[in-house]
Amino acid sequence: MKYIVIVGCGRTGAELARDLSPSANVVIIDKNLKALDSLGEDFNGKKVWGDGLDLHTLEEAEIKQAHALFLLTGNDNLNLVVGKVVKRRYQVPRVILQVNDVVKEKIFREAGLTIVNRTSLLIDVLKKYIT
Amino acid sequence: MYIVIAGAGRLGLVLAKKLKEDRHQVCLIDKHEGLCNRLARELKDILIIWGDATYPEILKEAKIHKARVCVSATSSDEDNIIIANLAKELFGTKRTVARVNDPKHLSLYKYMDVDNPVDSTSIIARVVEEEASFTDVMTLLSIKKGRLSIVRVDIPPDSPVVNKTLTEVQLPPNSVLVSILRGPDIIIPSGSTKIYPDDEIIAATLIDAEKDLIKALIGKI
Repeated sequence: MKYIVIVGCGRTGAELARDLSPSANVVIIDKNLKALDSLGEDFNGKKVWGDGLDLHTLEEAEIKQAHALFLLTGNDNLNLVVGKVVKRRYQVPRVILQVNDVVKEKIFREAGLTIVNRTSLLIDVLKKYIT
Repeated sequence: MYIVIAGAGRLGLVLAKKLKEDRHQVCLIDKHEGLCNRLARELKDILIIWGDATYPEILKEAKIHKARVCVSATSSDEDNIIIANLAKELFGTKRTVARVNDPKHLSLYKYMDVDNPVDSTSIIARVVEEEASFTDVMTLLSIKKGRLSIVRVDIPPDSPVVNKTLTEVQLPPNSVLVSILRGPDIIIPSGSTKIYPDDEIIAATLIDAEKDLIKALIGKI
């Protein structure tokens, strides 16, 4: 089974965690306990209440074993910093992070990091309707 | 010298004023509009820019390419790191200095190549600890990730080294006595220098010899 770590239990993070948890080992990290509670009692992954910027929290989530890390907090700068540090320090094969700002998406593009931008994705989808 | 400071909180503001007094050119960036308006009125000789310094266009507006130093002093560690990275990678800033808000985040600054992360919380804790003198031993400086430390040891009256010359004192290997502070005097010791009660000894020691050094100088740990 794949081992997946998710930072940020907002709408996207929570939905992804619920979606992946039947077929993968999922750990989700958030600094807000209420957000983690929103996953409900039937969520069968692991919940870690803590600061994603603190490497101890990531180690508690056993980041070293992860096949993939998803950074889905609403904070672009946090997602970027944690993504780059994890890539440098731990050999996580896939690091996927959400960045809302298009300018930052371009600047911080780097091999081994997948940066996902909601606006660009939506625009790609929308454009398909006029071709 | 031209210096750009991001974050006009207490630290950023005091630093900006101080640098201005020393005749440097200073630019302050902050994302709070009200604060910027007030500062622009109060500080005529400091360039104030309202905006989020984690965006390149704001740094460009601050003419950061002309700056020798970029100081990121916001209350957000992730922002401080991103600002330092942008300054360096996009604008070629030679030196980046950043305030570390939470000591737990210090390692991130190092992984992200910030030149000088300043962990103010730990610095203040160390100063307070020294003032309160919880111990007779104080680490003044640690070098090479703590492998070498410079320590200050206060010699108590009942220490085994009191009234002995340095030749008579047995220090553990990998440690060396650098200086003796006696009242207002700073003594660079030789073999015939005697140690007296209340002397403050400055010594350099490798981390694994530290305990033995303290034991030799104080008699206990």
